[in-house]
Amino acid sequence: MDTQTKVLRILDEVLSLNGRSATFDRSTPLLGAIAELDSMAVVSLITGLEEQLGLVVDDDEIDGDTFATVGSLCDFVAGKLGG
Amino acid sequence: MKPEPQAFFLPADPAAAAGGQRFCVHHPAQGEHLRGRIVYAHPFAEEMNKTRRMAALQARAFAAAGYSVLQIDLHGCGDSSGDFADASWQAWIDDLVAASSWLRERDEPHRQAPLWLWGLRSGCLLISAALTQLAAGESQALKLCLWQPSSAGKLLLQQFMRLRLAADLAGGQSRGQMEAMRQQLQAGQAVDIAGYLLAPGLALGLEAARLLPPEPATLVDRLEWFEISSRSDAELSPVATQALAAWSADGDRRVRSHLIQGPAFWQTSEIEDAPALIEASTAALS
Repeated sequence: MDTQTKVLRILDEVLSLNGRSATFDRSTPLLGAIAELDSMAVVSLITGLEEQLGLVVDDDEIDGDTFATVGSLCDFVAGKLGG
Repeated sequence: MKPEPQAFFLPADPAAAAGGQRFCVHHPAQGEHLRGRIVYAHPFAEEMNKTRRMAALQARAFAAAGYSVLQIDLHGCGDSSGDFADASWQAWIDDLVAASSWLRERDEPHRQAPLWLWGLRSGCLLISAALTQLAAGESQALKLCLWQPSSAGKLLLQQFMRLRLAADLAGGQSRGQMEAMRQQLQAGQAVDIAGYLLAPGLALGLEAARLLPPEPATLVDRLEWFEISSRSDAELSPVATQALAAWSADGDRRVRSHLIQGPAFWQTSEIEDAPALIEASTAALS
C-alpha cells in the first residue's frame, strides 16, 4: 500500500468521512477547507499517523503547511517513513 | 423488573483533596445474584465528551449482566463541583476511592462482591495510581478492565497539549509552543488548551503516571486489557505487549488481552459506537 492510500485511510477514519476521501487527490486542500479538520481532529490525525504507521512526530516540525493539502501531508509522512 | 439508573450527588470526603460534591450515576445490577461491583474512571476533556455514549452503553450492559456499576464525574469535569482549572490528579484519585467506598457500603452482598475498576484512556492511569488506596478498603484482590490504556501519562499529556499547537497551526504560531507550555506548568501556572485551563496539579500528576503492576503484586488478581483498532489485520501495539508481559510476569494473576475491531470512538469527529467492544468486555468479566 502506498503512502497516500495509508494516509487517506487514516484521514477517513479520524474525520469520520465515510469513504469521502476516495475522491481526494494530492491537490485536495485540508486545513481550513475540510470542516471536520478541527484542532482535535488534527491531533487525532497526528496520533493516528504515529500509532498506525509507527512514525514519531516532533512537535516543532508541524506547521500549517504540513496540513495544507493531501499532497503536503503525504510528503511529510513519506519523508518520515523514508528516514 | 429492570431497575433504572439513579443519578445523585455524592458529598466529597472532608479529608479529600477537593471538597463539594460529585455527580454520580448508579446502574443497579439486574438479576438475583450480584456478580461484582464496577467503578468507572472516565478520560478527561474532549475524550470524556466523546466517550459518554460508549460509557453509558457499557455501564448498562454490565448492569444487565449482574454487575452494580457506578459512574462518577470527577472533580471539575462539568457535572461535579469545581472548574476544570481546579482539578488535580490527587483529587481524582480521592474521587475514585470515594466512589468505590460508596458502592461497597450499599449492603452486605456489595461488601462481599469483587471490585472491578473499569477505565478508559487516562482513566486507566488514574486507576493504576489509585490501586493502593482502592485496595485498602477491600477484602479481596482488585480486578481491572482497561480500555485503550496508555502505558504512560506523558504521552496522553503530550497529545492533549498538541491541541493548542493544532489550534495555532493556521496562524503559524505553533513552533516552540510545547516548550513554552511545559515551562509555564513547571513554574506553577495553568495553561489554556482548547478552552480547558490545565492546572499544574493535574498536568504533572498525569505526566508522572505509569501503568505499572502494583506493589505488592497481590493487590490485583485479574487484568482484562482491550485495544481497539479499525483494521482487521491489526496486532497488539508493541507498548501494550510490553506492558502485558510485565503484568503477566508479576505474581499469580490472570492477564488477558483483547484486540477489538472498531472505531477510535474517543477521538473520532462523530460520536461512534463500538458494539464489539461492549460485547467482548461484558463477556470477559464473567
